[in-house]
Amino acid sequence: MSAVSEAVTTSAMRTREATVRRFALTDTIFRSATRLSAILVLVLLGGVAISLFAGSWQALSKFGFSFLTTEAWNPVTENFGALAPIYGTLVTSAIAILIAVPIGIGIAVFLTELCPRPLRRPIGIAVELLAGIPSIIYGIWGLFVFAPFLQTTIQPFIIWVFKGIPGLNSLFAGPPYGIGLLTSSLILAIMVLPFITSITKDVFDTVPAVLKESAYGIGCTTWEVTRRVVIPYTRVGIMGGVMLGLGRALGETMAVTFVIGNAHRISASLFAPGTTISATIANEFTEADGELYTSSLVALGLILFIITFIILAIARYMLLRIDRRAGA
Amino acid sequence: MKPMLSTDLNVADTTVEKAKIEVKNLNFYYGQSKALKDINLSLPERSVTAFIGPSGCGKSTLLRVLNRIYELYPKQSAEGEVLLDGKNILDRSQDLNLLRTKIGMVFQKPTPFPMSIYENIAFGVRLYEKISKAEMDSRVESALKRAALWNEVKDKLNASGQSLSGGQQQRLCIARTVAVKPEVILLDEPASALDPLSTAKIEELIDELQADYTIVIVTHNMQQAARVSRQTAFMYLGELVEFDRTEKIFTSPREKRTQDYITGRFG
Repeated sequence: MSAVSEAVTTSAMRTREATVRRFALTDTIFRSATRLSAILVLVLLGGVAISLFAGSWQALSKFGFSFLTTEAWNPVTENFGALAPIYGTLVTSAIAILIAVPIGIGIAVFLTELCPRPLRRPIGIAVELLAGIPSIIYGIWGLFVFAPFLQTTIQPFIIWVFKGIPGLNSLFAGPPYGIGLLTSSLILAIMVLPFITSITKDVFDTVPAVLKESAYGIGCTTWEVTRRVVIPYTRVGIMGGVMLGLGRALGETMAVTFVIGNAHRISASLFAPGTTISATIANEFTEADGELYTSSLVALGLILFIITFIILAIARYMLLRIDRRAGA
Repeated sequence: MKPMLSTDLNVADTTVEKAKIEVKNLNFYYGQSKALKDINLSLPERSVTAFIGPSGCGKSTLLRVLNRIYELYPKQSAEGEVLLDGKNILDRSQDLNLLRTKIGMVFQKPTPFPMSIYENIAFGVRLYEKISKAEMDSRVESALKRAALWNEVKDKLNASGQSLSGGQQQRLCIARTVAVKPEVILLDEPASALDPLSTAKIEELIDELQADYTIVIVTHNMQQAARVSRQTAFMYLGELVEFDRTEKIFTSPREKRTQDYITGRFG
């Protein structure tokens, strides 16, 4: 009797062991597949970086460090410098973020704290649709509708208002072209707004109701609850949204190419035409004859790559410091 | 700690003491469903009142009506009257922020604000009072002493409120509530997420605070209600079944449902 049951047990054990071995095999395959996917990202990133370096080598070895500090961009004499596009990229992105962050946070606060329920979805969807509009549409709208409007109404007014004020009068100096740095910044602000809004809204929704209740419970107004509790509680998430928006603004090509004017120069006035790194590359790649010209354009791409990297690193560092100071 | 079934049986009967809060014919709705049915209740000044009852009986809801925190949610509504010193706080003209400075609330889970320990307390004070740095320092200190937390945090007032332990966080929340000098303190199961030692501290604190404040506590823990409160309200299915002095509720309740609940036959 006991022999029979033992035999059954042994055969049962054997099937079980076989199953376990099969599991171990699938487990190994699964583990290596996921590891491979993760490594693939590093390989791609490395590949992009290496090809950018290789492509830009000719320009960088010819101009050296002065590539970064030269404003001139002359295909005829083959004298190239990246200062104007770098300046344009940083200025337009910075202004776009300055405009879009307060508005985006404002929309998010309205949607999560104040908005009547029936309006919440339509407004939320409208904001998300903004993100879905292709950038070429922002470009043609910017060029044919927005820029002429700025040229005939807003810009002359601003120039007139700031005429006598030193500093501001050169920042907003005429003539009003319509297209230029400020117009690009405004278009960029509209384009990054939905990213900042939807991320901010999502992180606002993660604030525990009871935390808000306790803030209201000591007599806070909605403004105070938002300013002192909701925003500090979610600052990491908001930062993430801002960085995502900034990344988008730095790299945005099509819309900016339409409205920035594509002039390789640095002007004090925000109304003046300028250029950005991505706009320059998009505009001139087809016409780039000569290896040095092409190589200079690739070098611009490398610089954009590095700028984006540095900004992400700064963001990380800032978040780290904020967290440490808060003692969290 | 206050001994259970206090020997001072000669405490004045609840009905003759001055009522701080009077609830009259109160009905409360979550959307269509009625959560509170015709509640009538009078809370005497400077004493502890406990609301007990099984989950979903409406005791937390009743508490949330008293400072109108329910108004954050559009589908909740209250009918009837809640008189604070004779003035109806459910009236539309009642300023909500002002009401909530008079009626402070502490929640089940500790909710320190995302700021330093010092700021957690100074924040609420600063909302309604302009006082100097020195005054604020002493205000923060006295609030923390009041909440029996001062000795544990006096060397790290700039650390984040969220870095404290659960029991400390809850005492910080009580200190924060006390600091804005309310008249009434509402406690919504303040010790249910805490260990026995922290619970004992909170109960001790409640006992001390009743000298100056009118306190209302919602609790699942009947021993706690018996230990800390002077009067107890037993609620069931949205109704106020029985309201009397605590020793009466726990020794000779009038209603059979009360007796069944406190003897553990349901709930």
